[in-house]
Amino acid sequence: MMSVRSLLVSSVVSLVAATGALAADAHYTLDPAKSTLEYQFTQAGALNKGKFTRYTVSLDVAGDTPSKLDVVIDMASLDTGDKERDDALKSADLFSAAKFPQSRFTSAQITKTANGYDAVGKLTIRGVAKDVHVPFTFRPADGSLMGKVTLKRLDFGVGQGDWKATDQVGNDVAVTYALKLVAAAH
Amino acid sequence: MSIRNTPTRWGHGAQFLHWLIVVLIITQVILANWAEGLPIGPKKIEVYAWHKSVGITILCLAVLRLLWRWANSTPELPTTLKPYERALAKVTHFGLYLLLFAQPLTGWMMTSARGFPVSWFGFLQLPDFVPKNQALYNAMKETHDTLALVLYVIVFLHIAAALKHHFLLKDDVLRRMLPFTKKS
Repeated sequence: MMSVRSLLVSSVVSLVAATGALAADAHYTLDPAKSTLEYQFTQAGALNKGKFTRYTVSLDVAGDTPSKLDVVIDMASLDTGDKERDDALKSADLFSAAKFPQSRFTSAQITKTANGYDAVGKLTIRGVAKDVHVPFTFRPADGSLMGKVTLKRLDFGVGQGDWKATDQVGNDVAVTYALKLVAAAH
Repeated sequence: MSIRNTPTRWGHGAQFLHWLIVVLIITQVILANWAEGLPIGPKKIEVYAWHKSVGITILCLAVLRLLWRWANSTPELPTTLKPYERALAKVTHFGLYLLLFAQPLTGWMMTSARGFPVSWFGFLQLPDFVPKNQALYNAMKETHDTLALVLYVIVFLHIAAALKHHFLLKDDVLRRMLPFTKKS
């Protein structure tokens, strides 16, 4: 049976640990109005752009070091500025947005790099999960999280049938994020 | 025969530009109709990309052709033409030159207004002619399609006139635009 003394000690230890966590850890969420999540792709030899308008971001920060990043994107919110093209992108042979309504990145580990951080984790698009590196910079002072990652659409099966060809619609898609995060209350 | 025009004959330069543009315009009509009938997919994107690249090529050749025309003498029309025939010839030729510019430019505006940038054969991405604007796209598409019909009519008149000169009037108006023919 646990003595009164050891119970007291462990309680104090937990309390200190909890207080420490409160003081040093922070949880950030997205300010959508001040954030952009865009992508560039090649179509017919020319660079085209698009964006997502609905997505959530959650970032855990321990001290001032990001420890966990989680991003969920509503694929129906993809917007390339052309309805016909957006509908084609959401169709079964491309993002299949009805069947796979969300894409998600969840970091397994975040390490410090020369310029910022590198989040490695599973990115799931169109039901296919791949380990990817997501580089980013983060400034706790203003909550800005920025970076760019280039993905290959065919790695995730985005492009079935005729869309597997990459001469007209390139395989590389550069995703750029300029996010504004705000510290959430615990 | 020389590269440059003479008072009685089109030179190799003018003939080359004329017939090259003829081939390219026929190509454009084929590509446009082919692309329009395709379902949305990489093939449609590709065929439209060719159409846009050839269109920009025609625009450049049209500039070159106009400069060449100004830098050369223009062969005279036969003196036997009636004033209204002379006027009709002027109007159709002016219309053809105008369309050589108007078709590529309305096409370029149309694709820019739609928000699809143009790459010239994958080598060079052109600047967007106009900002993205759905209403402008609709207007330009309408214009581009209508001008294509106008072009068919003027080309029909142009060919009919050339054949009339050759077979009915038996003058050298057609022959002087044909390569490999001797002046009669």
